[in-house]
Amino acid sequence: MKTREYLILLALAEADLHGQAIARAVQDLSEGRTRLWPVSLYGTLESLEESGLIEELDDPRHRPADESEKKRFYRLTRVGHRALVTETDRLAALVKVARSRLKPQAGGVK
Amino acid sequence: MKAYRLLLRLVPRRLREKHGAEMEAMFRAELAAARERGALAAAAVWLHAIADVCGAIPRNVLDQWRRRGRVGIPRERRSIMFGSDIRYAWRSLTHQRFGSLLVIGMLALGIGSTVAVFSLVNGLFLRPFPFPEPERLVYVNETAPKWDLEMTGINYQDYATWRRDQKVFEAIALYSPRAFNVATDEGADRTTGASVTMDFIKVLGLQPVIGRNFTQEEDAPNGPLVAMIGEAVWHERFGGRADVLGKELKLNSRVHTIIGVLPKAAEFPGSVRLWVPLQGDPNVHASNYSYDGLARLKPGVTLEQANADLVRTQQAIYDDRDKERVVTPFARDLRAHLTRDFGTVASTLGAAVSLLLVVACANVAALMLARALARRREMGIRLAVGASRTRLLRQLLVENVMLSIAGGAAGLAIGQWAISALVASLPDQAPAWTTFTLDGRMIAFTIGTSVGTAILFGWAPALHAMNNDVRGAIATATASSTAPVRGRRTLWALVVAEFALASLMFVCGGLLVRAYDRVRNTDPGFDASNVLTFTIAVPGVKTPDDASGAAFRKRVVDRMRQIAGVTEVGMVSCAPVSNCHWGNFYTAEHAAPKGPNDADPVILNRVASPEYFTAMGIRLKEGRFFNSSDGIGGPDQDSTIIVNESFVQTMWPGAESAVGKRLYRGSRPPRDGPIRWLTVVGVTKDLKHYGLERPVRPGVYLPAPLMPRAVNTVVLKTSGDPTLVANAARAALREVDPEIPAYDMRTMDERLTRSRSLRAAYSWMLGVFAVMALVLALGGSYGVTSYLVSQRTRELGIRVALGARSRDISSAVLKGSLAVVLIGVAIGIAGAIGAGRLLSSLLFGVPPYDALILSIAAVTLAATGVMANWLPARRAARVDPMISLRAD
Repeated sequence: MKTREYLILLALAEADLHGQAIARAVQDLSEGRTRLWPVSLYGTLESLEESGLIEELDDPRHRPADESEKKRFYRLTRVGHRALVTETDRLAALVKVARSRLKPQAGGVK
Repeated sequence: MKAYRLLLRLVPRRLREKHGAEMEAMFRAELAAARERGALAAAAVWLHAIADVCGAIPRNVLDQWRRRGRVGIPRERRSIMFGSDIRYAWRSLTHQRFGSLLVIGMLALGIGSTVAVFSLVNGLFLRPFPFPEPERLVYVNETAPKWDLEMTGINYQDYATWRRDQKVFEAIALYSPRAFNVATDEGADRTTGASVTMDFIKVLGLQPVIGRNFTQEEDAPNGPLVAMIGEAVWHERFGGRADVLGKELKLNSRVHTIIGVLPKAAEFPGSVRLWVPLQGDPNVHASNYSYDGLARLKPGVTLEQANADLVRTQQAIYDDRDKERVVTPFARDLRAHLTRDFGTVASTLGAAVSLLLVVACANVAALMLARALARRREMGIRLAVGASRTRLLRQLLVENVMLSIAGGAAGLAIGQWAISALVASLPDQAPAWTTFTLDGRMIAFTIGTSVGTAILFGWAPALHAMNNDVRGAIATATASSTAPVRGRRTLWALVVAEFALASLMFVCGGLLVRAYDRVRNTDPGFDASNVLTFTIAVPGVKTPDDASGAAFRKRVVDRMRQIAGVTEVGMVSCAPVSNCHWGNFYTAEHAAPKGPNDADPVILNRVASPEYFTAMGIRLKEGRFFNSSDGIGGPDQDSTIIVNESFVQTMWPGAESAVGKRLYRGSRPPRDGPIRWLTVVGVTKDLKHYGLERPVRPGVYLPAPLMPRAVNTVVLKTSGDPTLVANAARAALREVDPEIPAYDMRTMDERLTRSRSLRAAYSWMLGVFAVMALVLALGGSYGVTSYLVSQRTRELGIRVALGARSRDISSAVLKGSLAVVLIGVAIGIAGAIGAGRLLSSLLFGVPPYDALILSIAAVTLAATGVMANWLPARRAARVDPMISLRAD
C-alpha cells in the first residue's frame, strides 16, 4: 500500500471527510511530509473507492450540517478498515525487525 | 483560475467531470493561502499543481488501459456469462454427441501419435544429460579413411599425448565398456562395467557419492587393484551402507578394493555398474585402437578450435610413428554422436506425425465448419436480436476449447500408452541414457497443440461462417438451401488436402514396410534356425597359457555335446550380429608394397573351431572348412586360413580361385623372425556380420589352435527348439566350472530380430500412421459429403420432382465428391514421389517410385473415396420431393 493511500485511510478512520479536509488531515498526520495536490488526491480517492476500501456518502443525513451539498464526503468501508489494520500490523512487524537489527550497530559505530 | 481550469483539461475526463469543481476549489484555497505569504509561495503552488497534473497523466493512462477490457459489464455479470458459456457449450456439444465424439476422437488420434513421437524426440534430442553444463561435453575418437574405418577407437599413447599437450579441454578421459565376473556366494555373476581413466568423472562433472575417485598411481600400469561401484551395486550388494569403502570385491577372480561409490548419472553411456582404472602405459606403443574418448571443453571453446587443437597435438605422433598420417583424431558434439543412428528416423517420424496431425486438424476444421454453417441460422438470429459478434465468437471458442481439451487429454493417454508400447518393443535399440517419460515439456506441448488446434481450426471456420451479413444468413438458412459458395469451396479444399496428405503418408508408409520386408528376407549368410549361442568369460588367471586354455574349452565342448537335443557344438571368437568386431591387417604374398595413399582396409578377424561352420550353417563357396589338424602347430608355425568372398575381391581382384594362395598377418613383414604364412583352404559366402543392413567387410577365420583363448562364444545347433536346451547348457557349464558364468545367451533368430527391431518399430509406426490418415480422410470426406447432401435436400428434391431418376442423383453426388478425392490423391502421389527421395536412406534399395506401392496406394485411396461418398450419395438418391420441399 502506498504511503498516500495509507494516510488517507488513516484520516478517514477518525471521521468522514470531504476531499479538501482529507488533504489537510493527511498533511497533519504526516507532520507536513506528505502534501496531496488536487489531481493526485482525487485520483487516489477514485482508485480507493474502486477497490472498495472507501465509499462515498450519499445520504445527506450523514453530512455535517454546515457543509455544502456540492462536496463529496467519503467514509472508510469495513474492508478498508480491515486493510488499514492489516497494513498497520505489517508495518509494525517490519519496524520491530528493523529496530532489532539496527540496535547493535547504532551502539557500536561512532 | 482560468489557467488552472485549462491545466485540468490534461486530466482524464472521467476524473475531471466528477471532481473538477472540488479540485478547483481546493486549488483556489491553496493559492489564496500562499498569496498571503508572497509571490514566491504562489509560484511554488503553481509549480506543484503542474507537477501534480503531469504526474497523474501516466498513472491514469495505465489505469484506463487496464480497465479497458472490462469496460461496460460489471464483474458479477461477467462471471455469470462465462459460466453460461460453458453450460451452453456443454449442452450444444452433448446434443450432437456423435459429432463431438468424432472430433474428440480425431484430435485424440492426432495428438496421441504426436505425443508419442514427440516424447521420442524429447528423450533423444531435447532432454538434457544428467551432467552439469552438458553442452560442453564432446565425444572424441580417431578416424582412418585408409583403413576404411570411420572410427578406429583411440590408441592409449595418442590419448596420453593429447592429454599432455592439449589446451582446449578442462579434462579429457577414455572409457571402455568391460564385463566382469563378480564372485558371489553361489558362483559368479556377469556384470557390465567400464575401464576409465582417472579424469572420467571429472569430465562428466560428477563427484563420488561417498569415497573418492581414482588417483594417478591407481591409474598407472600395474597399479593397485581398486574399483568404484555404482549406486545400484552399492544398494543391492552392500545395502547402501557407508562401510562399503575398503571392502573387497572379486572381479574376474582377482580381489579389488572398493574406494568409492558413483551416482546414477555416472552410468554412462549406459548399464555400467562398476568402474576400474584403465591403467594404460603411455610409454609402450601398442597398435591397439579400441577406446572411446570423452572430454569437457573449456568455457567459450568451440568444436572447431577443439578439433584444430587435437590435430595440432597429434603432430608429435605423426613425427614419431605415423608418418603417413593414417589416423586423425576428432571431437564431435556428444549428443550428435550418441543419436547419429536416429536422426533420419526421428525426422521421418516427426514429419509423418505432423502430417497426421494436419490431417486430423483438417478433419476437425471441416467438421466444425460444417457445424458452423449449419448453425448460421441460430447465429443470424442471435446477431439480429442484438448479440455482439464478440459474444458469439467467445461462445464458439469455449465450445472448441472444451472439445480440444477433451481431445488433448485423450491424446495424452493414447500417447503415453503408445510410447510405453514402443519402448517395450525396442529392448536395446534405444540408447541407455534416454528416458521417455512425461515431463513439463510434454505437457506444455500437448496443451499448446490442443489449444492451438482449437483456435486455428475451430475458430477460424466459425468466423468464416459468421462473416456473412445477418440478413443473408437468416434468409438462406431459413430456405435450407445450398451452403454459401465460399463455405463449400473451403470444405472441398479441406477434403483435397486430407486425401493428398493421406496418400502421401500411405505411399511413404508402404515404401518403408516394403523396405522392412526386404530387410527381413535378406539372406544373412548363415542358418539362424535352431542355433543357441552364449559367451563364457574365462579369467586369465584360470588358464594362464594356450595349452590350458585349449584344454578348458575342450572340456566345455565335450560336456555340451552330451546335452540331449544338441547336434553340433562349435566355438568362435565372435558370432554374427552380436555387436562384436576385431579388426586386423593382412598382406597377400607377392602383393606390391602398399604406397602411402593405397587403401589398407581393416579385415574382420575371427577365430573358429572346425565344428563352428556346420553349427552356424555357413556356406562354402570353394575349398573346405577347417579340420582338427588345422593350426595344430600353434602360432609359431605356418598355418591355414578361411576367407570370405569380399576378402578375395579385395586381395586378389579378378582371381579365379583363392584356394592355395598365401598371406600373412600385419601390414608389413615382422621385423624379427620369419613370416608365418597362412594358406587359404576355403572361401565362404559373405555373411552379414554387422547386421542385415550393414555392408559386408572382408573377413577371415583363423583355426582355433592358433589363439585358443580368444574363442569364447559357444554355438549349439539343436534338433528342436534351441531355447529348451538353455538351462541344460547353463547346468553343464556349472559342472565344468562353477565360477564361470554364461552370458548373452540368445538364439540366432533372436539376434536377427533384435538387429532389425528399430527398423521394425519405425516401419510399423509409419504404417499405422498411414492407416490412421486413411481412416481420418475417410471420416472427413464422409462428413463433408453428408453435410453437403443434407444442405442440398431442397435442390435434389426439385430435381427429383422434375423427373431425375435416383441413379442420376446419386451419380451426380458421387461424381462431384470423387473428383475432389481424385485431385487429392493425384497431388499426394506426386508429392510422395518427391518425398520418397528424401527417405531413400531408409528404403534399403526400394525405389521411391516403386510401382507396386504407388498403384496399391492409388487404388486404396480411390476405394476409400468411393466408400466415404457411397452412403451419402445413396441417401441423396432416396430424397422424397414431397418431404424435402415441405421441409420449411
